[in-house]
Amino acid sequence: MGEVKKGSYRRKKNLIAYSFIAPNFIGFFILTFIPIIFSFVLSVCEWDAGNSSQITFVGLANFQKMLTDSTFKISFKNTIVYTIGVVPSTLILSLLLAMLMNCKIKGRTFFRSVIFFPYVASLVAVGVVWNALFHPDNGPVNQLLMALGVQNPPRWAADIHWAMPTLILLSIWKNVGYYTIVYLAALQGVPGELYEASKMDGANAWQRFKCITWPMVTPSTFFVAIMLTIYTFKVFDMMYITTQGGPGRATNVLVYHLYNQAFISLNFGYASAIAMVLFVIILVITLFQFRFEKKFTSYL
Amino acid sequence: MRKRNVLAALMAGAMAIGSLAGCGGGGNTTTTAAGTENSTTAAGESSAAADSASGDQVTIKVSLWDYSNTEYYKTMISAFEAKYPNIKVEPVEASAAEYDDLIQVKLASKEDFDVVFTKGTPALSALVAKGHVMALDDFIAQDNLDLTSYSGLAEQLQLGGQTYAIPFRKDNNLIFYNKDLFDAAGVAYPEDGMTFDEYRELAKQMTSGEGNSKVYGAHVHTWASNANMFPRRTEEYDPFAADKDVLLPYYQTILAMQNEDKSIMDYGSLKASSTHYSGVFYNQQVAMLQMGTWFINNLLENVDFNWGVCSLPSVSGEGNDKAVGGVTPVSIGAYAKHPEEAWKFIEYVTGEEGALVLAETGIVPGYNSDKINEIFDALASKKEGIPENLSKYIDIDTYVVEMPMNEKGREVDKIITEEHDLIMTNSMSAEDGLKEMAERVNEVLGQ
Amino acid sequence: MYDSLRKKNPALYWLLQVLLYAVLILGALVMLLPFAWMLSASFKAQKDVFNFPIQWIPPEWHPENYQTIWTQIPLVTYFLNTAKLTIIITCIQLLTSSFAAYAFAKLDFKGRDQLFLMYVMTIAIPWQVYMVPQYIMMGKFHLTDSHLGLVLMHTFTAFGVFLIRQFYVGVPNELMEAARIDGLSEYGIWSRIMLPLSKPAIATLCITSFVNEWNDFMGPLIYLSTDSKKTLQLGLRLFNGQFSADYQLIMAASIVSLIPVFIMFVSLQKYFVEGIATSGMKG
Repeated sequence: MGEVKKGSYRRKKNLIAYSFIAPNFIGFFILTFIPIIFSFVLSVCEWDAGNSSQITFVGLANFQKMLTDSTFKISFKNTIVYTIGVVPSTLILSLLLAMLMNCKIKGRTFFRSVIFFPYVASLVAVGVVWNALFHPDNGPVNQLLMALGVQNPPRWAADIHWAMPTLILLSIWKNVGYYTIVYLAALQGVPGELYEASKMDGANAWQRFKCITWPMVTPSTFFVAIMLTIYTFKVFDMMYITTQGGPGRATNVLVYHLYNQAFISLNFGYASAIAMVLFVIILVITLFQFRFEKKFTSYL
Repeated sequence: MRKRNVLAALMAGAMAIGSLAGCGGGGNTTTTAAGTENSTTAAGESSAAADSASGDQVTIKVSLWDYSNTEYYKTMISAFEAKYPNIKVEPVEASAAEYDDLIQVKLASKEDFDVVFTKGTPALSALVAKGHVMALDDFIAQDNLDLTSYSGLAEQLQLGGQTYAIPFRKDNNLIFYNKDLFDAAGVAYPEDGMTFDEYRELAKQMTSGEGNSKVYGAHVHTWASNANMFPRRTEEYDPFAADKDVLLPYYQTILAMQNEDKSIMDYGSLKASSTHYSGVFYNQQVAMLQMGTWFINNLLENVDFNWGVCSLPSVSGEGNDKAVGGVTPVSIGAYAKHPEEAWKFIEYVTGEEGALVLAETGIVPGYNSDKINEIFDALASKKEGIPENLSKYIDIDTYVVEMPMNEKGREVDKIITEEHDLIMTNSMSAEDGLKEMAERVNEVLGQ
Repeated sequence: MYDSLRKKNPALYWLLQVLLYAVLILGALVMLLPFAWMLSASFKAQKDVFNFPIQWIPPEWHPENYQTIWTQIPLVTYFLNTAKLTIIITCIQLLTSSFAAYAFAKLDFKGRDQLFLMYVMTIAIPWQVYMVPQYIMMGKFHLTDSHLGLVLMHTFTAFGVFLIRQFYVGVPNELMEAARIDGLSEYGIWSRIMLPLSKPAIATLCITSFVNEWNDFMGPLIYLSTDSKKTLQLGLRLFNGQFSADYQLIMAASIVSLIPVFIMFVSLQKYFVEGIATSGMKG
């Protein structure tokens, strides 16, 4: 009897939870999840989105192709470099900025809006200004470097070795404002009493950060870290608009390669296989971060 | 247990979407689907024919770009609708930059466009390869359409022996030069049949000044075609050939102009500052510019100085016998509801009536005749500064299309662009770049 | 600490202050550069837009660019369409996301973690991969070339759920336990406790969703073909021809199109200022 009651209680609890999820989940499942499953299936098929709608099962051929595809290797490496360049620095910078913006500074409303600006400005404008700042011959950055005695300053976007670092800086600049806002929102959740109490206990600024701020914003750090990782692995627009993967293939990244495979080479199967690789990498990183989050938030 | 359920659900989902896309599932390829498609198209054709015979109102969907910012489409469409009162034209516009990719997506979902414009041979080849546009041979035979008025370009739009499009616009690449700058420097104007070395010398002579007021002798824009158009015109160069060595002297000269003579702007800087070729020519910062004939239309509206044109230089110094450039093809969509009416529209816009409208704006139509030549020569009387001999560079018997029809056209084009980038930014020597270009192109083409 | 420094060593305090503001102002200038470029380009003649080095003051002034944009394309229609889509999508997304996020963050149910991971992982799949199958499917449902199709496609996202869920996780469980003891249902807890508490997170999602929808280009590009249904970002691209680019018009229209985004951003600012959670906790 008791068992039954417990079971029905749990069922009721489950039902309530499902009712919360249902409005979002149903739409999401039909309109996003099913097409995604289709692209999973496509990764072991050949499909050209042509008149005949012909889909041919090819097994692991698409994955084997990656081993010999020089552009895949280059874009894979570029994606990793881009991710390593962007994720930690954006994360740290946005947290610092958020803490600064959370202080009582005069005109902070203004500064907050300004920080957010590159995020909403058109990518075309952002790209033009960035390239002007880093112009190889008469951009202010290189003029400054030359004034400081650097003989041959980097040619930035016009050089195969510097093009990626230039884009990394551009990405940080463009997106840091957004993640600052996310952190700002999280900081609002930190109860002021905690700081007051710790001050009375004689904790210094670093101790307060370590013991209060950092643990309290961990869920948001998890969010920012995952979203940034996903964003950097999926980056496309920036290259599509500013460099077209160039010079040569120096800024060609996985999704840019995938897009070209789908729309220029018409290999939808191969494009999906590349997406699978992307998916697995992000899955591993996310699972790792998921554990990390559990460890840090378990006491809450 | 749970894992198996998830797997089953995934499979079910996949099957569902598979059937949506019209596939019989997994390995069973569905050639029948293609068969049905053809028969429905045929049925659509006959019913459409019946429609127009009975005089019912028919609306055709026309997929194009640049509709809202180009006057000639509107002029042409209203003239067409006046001539065929029972056909209404519904233009469906997409932005120019994304058009090629978008039309693929739309046709993949079998959208019922009647008329489909494409931006060039690579995009058209891709649509043909996937069966997204109809073969026009029956229509051409039925109306006895004379393809000789298209400067040999109609034949170049064939793939596998069938014609899939009629040339709507075409372009010849020329050297545009600023007469005022040449006069001021006391240097003779460039002429047809220049060798590539003479071109380099001339550019060097015309380069003067320093810093912001520097005038460059020539301008090489950042497209790969700005280097390979020269040997393509003389048919030495074929983008799909296994060997790219023919490009070497051209790259070496252009690199010398950039790195030693400094008579052209630096490629890397041009890219980094996204400099548009038109601005530097309008602002009289360059004396010569290699560009397509569409630029005539821009010049008519934007400049007051005197300018002229001549044919492209080449290593062998070949004269003005051949033209080189892109084509704007127009086709009938494979899922068209009214192919008969679509054909009427295509015949109209690619025929003399459409061509006259284009020529008036300084755009070179695919169709050519004496009347078109007269219009181009008359442009000079409209405004100061326009050269009088334009028809000489438009009415040319041999038009070489920059990229021949090939299924892999866009892919090869991308590779050529990437390697061009490496060579021009001095990241790689011209020899190595061309070698890598050849290797990658051959890999794609399976050569 | 800072205050005490002010008393103990005023010189150092003021030096730090000056340094701080110098850094802030320099940073602000760098952040504002694209805006300045857009503004200056929007008043230029076509030929001057890409002049190099950048001319921040237009050599010739063309304020009429701001008139041309309204007449050359139906910008008003595009504006209204964009506003309609953005508002509808943002509202429904906020509601359904915060609803689902509550279950993922605070309710214990079968398959919670697996389902959540699946949600998050779908964000990892680039849209470019499944956009063609999705478009074909939407075509079968007759949802292409319609605003409804776009609304359905963009409303139910995993991203919103993820963002709000991360915020909810940080809310102490004791609050909910207390409410349950007081006899509040889960729906009641969501509406009376979680929702008011999560204003900063809601504001963040609101900004994200608003900016993304307002600036979305690829979605409308593929889904909308009828002129009267098109959006602002599609309109902007129409100034870009195959062989010409009217960047001065694009920038003029961009400046105009950014105004609503800024109004929204500034009006949501207050949710980032004071510790809202603090007041909630006391109750």
